[in-house]
This record gives sequence, structure tokens and C-alpha cells, in this order.
Amino acid sequence: MSRLIKKLLPHIVLMAYLLVILFPFLFVIFSSVKKDNNSIALNPFGIPKTFEFGNYVEAWVNAKISTYFFNSMYISILSAVVSILIASMFAFAITRMRHHKISAILGAVILVGMLIPNNALMLPIYLLVKKLGILNTHKALIIPYIANALPFSVIILSAFMKSLPSEIEEAAVMDGLNAQGIFARIIIPLTVPAMVTVFIVNFLGNWNEFLLANYFLSDDAKRTLPVGMVQFRDQYQMNYAQMSAGIVYSVVPVIVLYAILQEKIIEGVTAGSVKG
Amino acid sequence: MNKALKNPMLYIVLILPCLILFGMFFLYPIFSAIRYSFTSWNGVSATPKFIGLDNFTKALTEERFWLAARNNGFFILFSVGIQVPLIIFFSLLIANVKKLKGLYKTAVFLPSIMSTAVIGILWGFIYEPNIGLLNSILKVFGIEPLYWLADEKYAMISILLTNAWQWTGFYIVMVLAAILSIPRELDEAAAIDGASGMQRAFSITLPLIKPIISVVIMLSIAGAMKAADIVIVMTKGGPAGSTDVMATYMIKYAITNFKYGYGNAIAVLIFIFTLILTALYQLLVARRSERIEY
Repeated sequence: MSRLIKKLLPHIVLMAYLLVILFPFLFVIFSSVKKDNNSIALNPFGIPKTFEFGNYVEAWVNAKISTYFFNSMYISILSAVVSILIASMFAFAITRMRHHKISAILGAVILVGMLIPNNALMLPIYLLVKKLGILNTHKALIIPYIANALPFSVIILSAFMKSLPSEIEEAAVMDGLNAQGIFARIIIPLTVPAMVTVFIVNFLGNWNEFLLANYFLSDDAKRTLPVGMVQFRDQYQMNYAQMSAGIVYSVVPVIVLYAILQEKIIEGVTAGSVKG
Repeated sequence: MNKALKNPMLYIVLILPCLILFGMFFLYPIFSAIRYSFTSWNGVSATPKFIGLDNFTKALTEERFWLAARNNGFFILFSVGIQVPLIIFFSLLIANVKKLKGLYKTAVFLPSIMSTAVIGILWGFIYEPNIGLLNSILKVFGIEPLYWLADEKYAMISILLTNAWQWTGFYIVMVLAAILSIPRELDEAAAIDGASGMQRAFSITLPLIKPIISVVIMLSIAGAMKAADIVIVMTKGGPAGSTDVMATYMIKYAITNFKYGYGNAIAVLIFIFTLILTALYQLLVARRSERIEY
């Protein structure tokens, strides 16, 4: 008997913790199919008697979720891909090319970037973006997002490239391949696994970014999903059922991605923070 | 051999894009922040006026700045004092169960990959006084509705709870990975010698995961110093500035009130405070727990 309790007790405690994590999501899903605030108040915890899917239609239209969704998607993917491209060029140069002294210095300089609290740099970046004349365009997010992801991407990619055996290039040079060829045809294909990790981390960071997106864009049609959601909340604060539908829209893509790639995501996100 | 991989032109072409962006978005902003922190400037007019250390003396004597700094302090205290023990407790639990390990790990990690803005909205709904989840639960026990985010007494703790809800699982997964990488023989040997589960946790596992706990604390400090979006989304620093942190205080001054020079002085102060805290932590605590080998 006591053995059984000893075995079950950890599970009971952990299940309680899971409930705390997951119940808010359930609460939002249930609320999103309720008719209005009143029916949420009358039956806060349970599944509603009648399902009201109209909230989803209205949230999609009223909150312009489709616009924000598309903006977020293309800004996040584009920035993540360009960061990886630039970072892998840099990582290749400092790990595989024969300029070791300069490379060591450059690597250390980029590492310092990981230690800088980037929120504190928001004002100078705001000014810079304004000077470049790209304030209130998507470039005002894309370029800083590319830059912000560089230190992390360089660190992970160069650690990976460093671990590749040098015999590879020796063989390639024998076969008459030049440095560009080694980079494009040999090192890049071999680095793909690390790139996937880096892509996921960069993509999630961009997808969730709020501060720059909130202050650097003022046109409603250009907003990204997190900012659009906050604005939607401020406008339709009285209608919680519809707002819940909006939350579901913005959370579902991340959950789907997580369901498919959870191992990669956990590995990538935690690696990033430890290295930082 | 060496010739192909020496090609200096190619080297420059490869490193230049990264260096340019790094210079523009990391180095330049630091120097720019330092430079403007000594000026009085609205961010628009042609010439910033040099005023020496006035911005800093103003910030350091302003009550609202210290209120904001204190709230950053609450973030640190809450994560180190309350979250870290919970993180250790739950990761030990998950490491020692045989079944459902994967489920627990996956579920607790989930909130940390979500947008802080959306989580702020979600919790704003939970804290809603009339129909929110929390007051609905309290009502079951006959407790009057509380105004979580609108009452100065509860607003800060409400934000801290939301922040903990989002990030605890993330750190649990990190610590769990460290626990699972400890060779099993150590634990088994101790068990054969008759050590109880509790004893093994305290005298074997805990000392061995000290380095990762140290990393968690460092990350918590860094995270606490840059906290901003959760506050903006949930309370906008209110009620009456009681939940402002340094970063939101900075944004309020610089972007909303056009005090660009003063805002940059706050940015520099955030830097300095972060440096001091990390240096202190490294000197006082982390030094003692050097590398561990099995």
C-alpha cells in the first residue's frame, strides 16, 4: 500500500502542475465557443451547452488576423533565413579558412553580442531605423531581426563547422575545388542539421517579438500578430469570447510546430540560452 | 592546399555582411546610447545639447526610477527565491518517475515558446475581475472578486506569477537535462549503501547540478533586467506607475515623451546595473562552484 502511494505521489504532484499549465489554455478554448461574457460568467469552467463558432469567423474578420498572420509569417521566415545565410558565411570564414589570428578576434567580438541586453538598445536602434528612412516599413523589423539573431547563429554554426574533420577540405582541394566550392557544395550541406535548429530558434524569436514590432510600425495593415492581438484586445476588451478565439488563432501555429518538432525545439532553445 | 582557403578577397566578402550588421545594430547603438545620455534632446531637433551628468543625477534622484528599479529587483527575487526551488523540486520529480516523463517535459516547456504578448493577453483574461478564471475560482470559496491588475497591491505579484508561469518549465527542462546526464552508477551506488531518495537528492544530485543552477540564476537575472513586454501588455506600467520596470520607464520617457537623452541615460543605467549584478554574482557565488567532473 505505502509503496503504491510512494509511486503515485510524484505523479499526483506533477499532474497538478500540468493542470496549472494547461488549464488556462482550456479555459480560453472553452470561452472561445461561448456566446458572450454572460455565458462565460455563468459557466466559467465547463464546456458550453451550445457551441458558438461565430466567434472564430468574427475574430478573423474584426481582428484582421489573416493580415497579421501573413505579415508575421513572412517577416519571421525571411529574417531567419537571411540570418542563417550571413551567419554561415561568417562561420565558414572564421572556422575553415586560414586566417586564424583575425578569426579568433572576430569570433570573440561576435560573442560579446550575446551578452548585450538588447532591449536597452531599443532607442538608438529606433533612431538608426528612422535615419535609414525605413521606419514604419517591414524593413524596420526585418533588418534588426536579422542582426539580432547573428551572434547566436554564428556561435552555434561555427561550433558545428569546427567539429567537421579537416580531411574533407583536403580531399576537395585535391579534386580541384576552390574555397567557394568547398563552402557551397561541401560545408553547407553538412551543416544542415545545425541550421534547422538555428532556424527554429530564430523563427520563434521573430514570431514572438513584441517591442520593436510595437514601436517601429504604425500602420495597422503592417502589424505583426503579437502587436495586432494586443490592439485587438484593447479594442474589443468587452467581448472576451471573441478575444479568446483570437488567442486560439495566434497560439495554434506554434502548438502545431511544437507538436511536430518538439525535440528539435527544446534542444535548440535551451542550447541558445546556455551558450548565451 | 593552403592557397585555396587563404583567398583574402573571399574571406572579406564572407565576413563583411555579418560585421556590417553587427556594427550597425550592436556597436553603434551602444556608443550612440552613451553619447546621447549626456545630452538633452527630444530626438527630432538638429542639435542635442550637452548637459554632462544631469540626466544621471536626475534619474538617480527620481523616485519613479527607483520604483521601476525596485520592480526589476522583485523580478529577480521572485525568480531566484521562489522559482529556482520549484524548478529544482519539479525537475527532481520528473527525473525520478519512470512513466510519462516525456509528457511532463513536453507540457511544462510549452508556455516558454509562446509569445509573451499573447500570454499577457491570456492572463489578463484570467485576472479579469468579473468573469476571469481566478475570481471564478475564488467565488467557489466565497471570496469577493479581487481587482488583480487594477489594484496596486496585487498588480506586481500578478505579473510576476504570469512570468513564472511562462518560464518555470523552460528552466525545468534545462535542469532536467543536467540531472539525466549524471551517470546512473553514482545514484545506484548510493542506493546500495542505503541512502534514501531524499539523501541522494541532497548529497548527490544537487551538488552535481550546481553549475546549471548557476546558469539558471544568471539567465533569470538577465531576463529580469530586460523584462518589458509582459508589463506593457498587462498593465502598461500602471496602476499609477506601480508596475513600471526600468525598460518600460525608459520607453515612456524616450518615445512617448520625447526625452531622448534622458531615455538613453536610463539605457546606460540598465547596462551598468546588469553588469554589476552579473559581476557580483560571478564573484560571490559562481566562483566557488567550479567545474565538476564525474
